[in-house]
Amino acid sequence: MARVQDAKSTLQALARFGGEILEAHLRHGNRLAETDENHNMLQTLEHHRLVWRIGDAEDLQLKKVLVQFLDHITETERRRYANAQVSQLWQKLADLFGDYKAAKKRSAFGDIDRLEGEIKECLAEVIEDIRNATEAFGSYINTGFAYVTDAELRIRENKRVIEQADKLIQLFESFKLSELAEQAGSDAFLKRLLLRYLPATLESSQKDLSYSLNQLRKMLVRFRENQRLSKLVGAFEVHYINHPGFEPTIEHIDFARLPEAFNTVSPFTIRGFGDIYDPVDELAIIDLAANARTVGNSSEPEQTIETAVSVNFDVAGEVEIEDSDPVEEAIVELLQLVVDGALGEQAILASDALKSTGLAVERADWLQALAAEIEVLSDNDRECIEVIFHDTPDPVYCDNLSVYDIALRHHYAQ
Amino acid sequence: MSSPLFERTVTALMQEQVICEISDEELYNYLMMPDSQEAVNRFLGQINRTLRLTSAQDAFVCAYLDISRPETKEAVRQQFKEVANHLEALVHFLRLVMTLESGDRPVQPGDKVSEGNLLDRITAAPALEAKLRSLVEKKIFQTKRSDAAGQLRSVLGSLEKMGYLKSIGNSGSVYRATGRWSWLYDVMTFIQAHEGIAQDEESGPEQLRLG
Repeated sequence: MARVQDAKSTLQALARFGGEILEAHLRHGNRLAETDENHNMLQTLEHHRLVWRIGDAEDLQLKKVLVQFLDHITETERRRYANAQVSQLWQKLADLFGDYKAAKKRSAFGDIDRLEGEIKECLAEVIEDIRNATEAFGSYINTGFAYVTDAELRIRENKRVIEQADKLIQLFESFKLSELAEQAGSDAFLKRLLLRYLPATLESSQKDLSYSLNQLRKMLVRFRENQRLSKLVGAFEVHYINHPGFEPTIEHIDFARLPEAFNTVSPFTIRGFGDIYDPVDELAIIDLAANARTVGNSSEPEQTIETAVSVNFDVAGEVEIEDSDPVEEAIVELLQLVVDGALGEQAILASDALKSTGLAVERADWLQALAAEIEVLSDNDRECIEVIFHDTPDPVYCDNLSVYDIALRHHYAQ
Repeated sequence: MSSPLFERTVTALMQEQVICEISDEELYNYLMMPDSQEAVNRFLGQINRTLRLTSAQDAFVCAYLDISRPETKEAVRQQFKEVANHLEALVHFLRLVMTLESGDRPVQPGDKVSEGNLLDRITAAPALEAKLRSLVEKKIFQTKRSDAAGQLRSVLGSLEKMGYLKSIGNSGSVYRATGRWSWLYDVMTFIQAHEGIAQDEESGPEQLRLG
């Protein structure tokens, strides 16, 4: 009872992890990667003895019994050996036709009926196997033999498949459909199979097979080249390790037999002149020339700097020191006295100040200069000065006032 | 009548560029047309040059027709010196990427090289970080950066400048390998044959890598 229970539990495990198991079988060469996600599944499969491995570092593999079962249910086995299968069936078909002919000769109607049925079934199987055999090669191309990890083994697997495809093509070519068709007799169904379905299947399969064979051969060339390059890199790597400081040389090589890889040209710029002799290009060249001038001017900043330096020198040499204005100096001094409060609360008349300076300036000019200087004083200084204009009204236009003097006094803040 | 594509193609070839589908798809497609190839070759032939395909048939280069003149020999010698000086660093880079990608083949034209993916794997393994550090000690990859991200960026940037990688997208951190690798493998094949570098020496690094 316990054995039945175990078996049921195994089947349930297969059903539970069916997707992953099929994926491993069809795409990963029956290997199951040990990842966190797969942890539960691997434990279960190990428990049911459905996987195996040699060392801890290796991935788990599906056991042979399970692989055989998977081959069966996925028809992989049938496809893998479809080549041999087709050959056998074809032989069987030939034998059946021989028997059919003999039965007809003897008018053995019971055998004729039986043989007709067997021939139909056999033919249907042949057609199915031909399709299967061809499709199998397509799947090899799609996977690119990725399930074989080692480069050398991949090449061997590829070669083996090419040989299989070659054999299948030879087998198809050996089929003599016309001879078989003659033996179909008057049976309409047999005739349809032999004259229509079988030739059509063979033709499309041969076409697919030729394509597959071509792709497989290309793949083999690529695998071999990859292997060669891999070995090449490896050989250099080891050589550098074994011969530190190694530097290849071509000094001893006959230059006359230098390979193309070395014989690449050294670069040089191809330049030419603008064609000023062809009027067709005249406008374009004029435009270019105009731009070139602009570029030329702006692209000489260093020269500009040099020029600037010499100009600066010239300017420095021509500096003229202006003489100070005695009137302005006297006014500034006067205002400074008032601002500083040196006169106390006393007021000073501009006319008196002019007299004390001894300057030969008209009183009107002096007053005007003083008024202008007061205007440009800073706000702070201006607030420190009280300005009192002494004036008289014009005899004709009495609103117009003529200032004849200005009194200045320090203004103390309230 | 001049053709812009012809001019661009010839100029690129004369500037020592390797033209492939990745480096410049337009020029590559132009050169793939027999008529264009003939026109370019006719022009180059008049100035002692010719168009060549790498042995992988995926990239065009310009080669001298006659290298008997001293200046031509000197140019070829200079180019070889440049490759010889950088070769060890390039081999180490190829091995590093092969280890990171768990691949059984080195970088090839068209391969995508993602700075982010490489960095994730490098930072996950101290041994790989050490390999990157030793790589940036090589002259062509030298950088002052001490972090793995900066070092890797510098290495990929240098390869882009040398024309081995071409940046794709806007991030500036995803590249495609160009046909210059095909040219380099041709050079390496030649050096291997002439320097007597044994193919079976390869068993060594396999063991080193496993260790």
